[in-house]
Order: sequence, then structure tokens, then C-alpha cells
Amino acid sequence: MCDHINKNIYLPYLVTVAEVIDETPDVRTLRLVFQDEKVRDNFTFRAGQFAEYSAFGAGESTFCIASSPTRAGYIECSFRSVGRVTEELRRLEVGDTMGVRGPYGNSYPIEEFYGKNLVFVAGGIALPPLRTLIWNCLDLRDKFGDITVVYGARTEADLVYKHELKEWQERGDVHLVKTVDPGGNGPEWDGSVGFVPTVLGEAAPSAENTIALVCGPPIMIKFTLPVLEKLGFTDEQVYTTLENRMKCGLGKCGRCNVGNVYVCKDGPVFSAKQLKAMPMEF
Amino acid sequence: MQKYINQQNLNTLLDTLITQGIRVVAPRMNAGTPLYEPIAGANEMITDQLPRRSAKEAFFPVCEDIMTYEKEGQKVTVTDIDPARFPETLLFGVRPCDAAAIPVLDAVFSWDYKDEFFLERRRKTTIVGLACTAADDACFCTAVGLSPSDTKGSDLFLTPLEGGGYACESFSDKGEALIANNKELFTEPNNSKSLPLAEPHTEKFDLKKVKAWLDEHFEDPLWDGVAVRCVGCGACAFVCPACHCFDIVDEGTEKAGKRRKNWDACGFWKFTHHASGHNPRDGQPKRYRNRIMHKFKYYDDKFGQTLCTGCGRCVRVCPVGIDIAGIVEEISKK
Repeated sequence: MCDHINKNIYLPYLVTVAEVIDETPDVRTLRLVFQDEKVRDNFTFRAGQFAEYSAFGAGESTFCIASSPTRAGYIECSFRSVGRVTEELRRLEVGDTMGVRGPYGNSYPIEEFYGKNLVFVAGGIALPPLRTLIWNCLDLRDKFGDITVVYGARTEADLVYKHELKEWQERGDVHLVKTVDPGGNGPEWDGSVGFVPTVLGEAAPSAENTIALVCGPPIMIKFTLPVLEKLGFTDEQVYTTLENRMKCGLGKCGRCNVGNVYVCKDGPVFSAKQLKAMPMEF
Repeated sequence: MQKYINQQNLNTLLDTLITQGIRVVAPRMNAGTPLYEPIAGANEMITDQLPRRSAKEAFFPVCEDIMTYEKEGQKVTVTDIDPARFPETLLFGVRPCDAAAIPVLDAVFSWDYKDEFFLERRRKTTIVGLACTAADDACFCTAVGLSPSDTKGSDLFLTPLEGGGYACESFSDKGEALIANNKELFTEPNNSKSLPLAEPHTEKFDLKKVKAWLDEHFEDPLWDGVAVRCVGCGACAFVCPACHCFDIVDEGTEKAGKRRKNWDACGFWKFTHHASGHNPRDGQPKRYRNRIMHKFKYYDDKFGQTLCTGCGRCVRVCPVGIDIAGIVEEISKK
């Protein structure tokens, strides 16, 4: 339980945009530094948690914290410009001020993954919620076995964190399988061509002593879970994060629930076992 | 503590409190619409009509500023709200169905993170409930386990008596203090009979049975049947004493403005609409299902309470005649 007596729980921290990175034509990453030195020194979070990011005058939007908790001094968010708030966030330049409330929600039980192999499976704009954990694990590399990343997008241009994909490809301790949908590949493409679930099936990572972390659009999740099952993964070995629309992030405003589960409080990280116990409302 | 107060002394009590600078909120007519609003004197108060909206807005306003911002160049200054926003308040003449909803709402606003906008007003407010003497066809407080004389949520409860005046009973320190601080206005209880109280025409629902059915029937043809005609206007949520869903929006310019917490409704399509275009509740029956589930199952799962007090307002305002009491009754007979 958190104790926030006599505090305005809706008040954001002020952060400065320290870096702007264009991932795709419409996806942007912002590196954010807390303006209050005390907050900067004391802000902690765990991989998987999310925050409410605000462009003053436009409102708040919910995204995961895309950077790793092992990288102190800043946080990052990655978002696609699709609405009023994200369009406004996109207009921000280095040095501009925005707001952050958080961290909220649960997190990946990373300690339970120590000593295990990890398979990350992501599609499109859904890499950020896994990227926080990927870097968290890479920064604690000795604690894990094999690390495999299967990541795909519609086209080459839609792949986010391209510079990091290259880095993962080049370091010897990550097995990166990158793919684009048929027709999404250009002449220089050096990855696979095919949908994420198919490519995952072909890569066929062993389920033995392995945890799979899946994040993507609902359609990708739907076709990925059976592939993992076929590879021998049990529902306890598979995790995902849900991305429902939220406003407060605090278990009050009443919209992110899937059945009686509040994604903002009980999630956003769920095991496939938990997911299958929920009604189809996500 | 039990006491008696006559109408004249009651008016004096309210006028005195107002003179002392206490905000008195009571049912009053606003351009032909009865609403719980601050009154300037006891003469503004009406007690014979159920206000159009519930008393929850004394704690959780329709729109509320939660901060202001000012921008200058790359700098932004954010200002917290002024604590003077929450004056000492007497919420008077609250119907049992409205008063009962307030402690139910305590659960969601105080679990884990504390919503001080709601909770500070709770601390600063004394609630005086008033027994209900008239029910209409939409009333169903008795069906959800309450009654026209239910004292739940009231610090002091008034029952109108034959021959005038009110029997007063306190149920909290705040209620006791209201009497103690104005003891010259209260006298010892007399033997007058209560005026005939309202008798809503409903049988008590077996809420356990309703919940047990809801536990097993997320998918059921009933949802299409009851809600395919819902137009998604959200009126039911806006008049409800227990609905607590809200939106957070910025209102202002490039330079300055405020962030506000506004009432929202699960009946709106945009309520759960994702940025991607995906909507987990992509039809009105799914949204109405959430309304019933939230009230009679989810809130119970989470807080052990039912999020409905049977005020009947949603039944009265629904433009397409959706009757929540009828639906819950149907479920209870399954």
C-alpha cells in the first residue's frame, strides 16, 4: 500500500526533454530528466511500470517507462502521434518542459527470471514495454541464460529502436530475430520476412527453463500464444503487458478494468495464466 | 443521541451556520431544477423533491480543477490547488439513497492512493439525512437493502413528524457536535409519530444471487437483449449517486490553463477507446454490461459493497427506458 495522505495525487513531476529520437516516421522517443534534483536522485521504478505523461494544455497520455531502471538519472517514453496529447508531445523540443506522474502499476517479476533463458516477442510499437526489461536484463547479463529477441513490424521503416536492434545484433550475447511482414522488406533487408508468430515458430526457442515475454497488438498476441504452447511453454512461463486506456493510473477513474481486474493496479504485467482467467475485454 | 427540532429552529440552525461562514448545501431550486447546492438562507431550501443529481457532487464535483499551469518559454510552473477550496460544510436534507452512497464511495477514493479532493471534503462535511416521505415508480432503495429511513452515511438523521418538526438522531461525533454546538435549538424527543414514509414498490433483490450469476455470465445473450437500444448518452452515470468514473483533461491555452477532473461515463464509446483504434468495449451492450458488472460484481469483489443505492434516477432519465431495477430483478430470478 502506498501512503499519500494530504498530497495531491494528480500533481505531476516536471521533467525536461533532454533528447528527442525519431524511431519511425511517426514514433518518437523522448529522454526526460526530472527538474527537481531530489526527485531526480530518488525516483525509482521497476521494469514494466507505466506513467502518465503530460503536455500542458493538451492533457495526459499513458505509456510504459521504456528505459531500463538500471539507467539512472532519466526516463524515456516512446509513443506514436495519434491524438491531441501525443501530437503536442511531438512538438516538444530539447529543453522543453513536460509532466510525468508515476511510476504506476506492477512490474515484471525479474528476480524470478534469474538463471533462466528469456525469449522476448514483440510486434510494432509494442517493443517499448519489453525494451525496458531487455536492457534491465542485459545490464545484469550474468544473471540470465540465453536471451532471444523476436521482433517484427509491418515494414523496415516501422521498426523502432533501430540503432539498438543493431547493437543487439552485434553483441554476442543476444540472439536477435528481426522480421517484417511480407512486402515490408527493402533491397537491403538482412532479417526475416514473415509474421511474428510464424517467425517465432521457425526460430523455435526451447521452452526448457525459459520465460517468454510477449507484447504486441491483440492479433499478434492471439496467434503467438498457440505457437508458444506448441513449443512447450506453459501459461506460467509466458508474460505480457496489457495496454488499456487509462486516465488516473491510480485505481479510481474506472476505465482500464478487464472484468474485475484493474490493469493500472493489478497490471499491466500479467502471466498468460492470469490472462486466460480474464474475460475477453482487452 | 436523540432530540427533537421544530421547523423554525431548524431554519434558525441553518441560517446561523451560514452566518458563521459555514457552507450549507441543501436541495434548492436552480432555474426549475432541484439540485444540492449551497444555499444563502434556510428559505431557499426545498425538502419535497428529490434533486435531479445526487449529493455526491458535494464531495466529487462535476468538474474540478486539480492544478493550474503557466508556461513561459521552455519553463512550466505548476500550482497545486488552494486548500481553502474545502470549506467546513453542512450537507443538509440528504435523501437516504444519496447519503448511503457516500460511504460506499469512500472505498474507491481512499484505497491505496488517497484522493484528497474527495477525502478532505469528507472530513470537513457533516451530513444530515432526511427520511423520505414520497417514492415514485422508479424508486428501489428497498430492493438493494436500504430504506426510506436508512441512516447509512448520515451524521445526523431527521425524520419528519406528524404535527411538524423532526425527530433527530445522531450517528457520529459530527452529528453529536452539531447538536451540542446548537443545543438551545434542540429539545428532548417527543412522542409524535413519524409522517408516513415512502414505500417503494419493490421486493428485495437477492444481491448474492445476482452476483453469483454475474460471476459466471460475462458472456450472455441477456446483455444484447437489455442494452442494444442504449444510445450511450451517459445520463445514467451523471445522475447516479455512486458512479465515480472520471476523466482528466487540460483546459487552457498555450500559455496558461488548468487540469481538471471531470465526471465520465462507461456508456461513452470513447471511454475505453485505445489510441490504436481498438476498443475492448466496442458495442453498447458491452458498455452496459460493464455498468451492471461494476455495480453488482466488481465493486463487491474489490470493496465488498454494492455500487447502487436504488435512487432510481437512471431509470427516470434514460431516454430509451432502460430499467436497471428490472434488469437486476430479471438476473436475480435466473
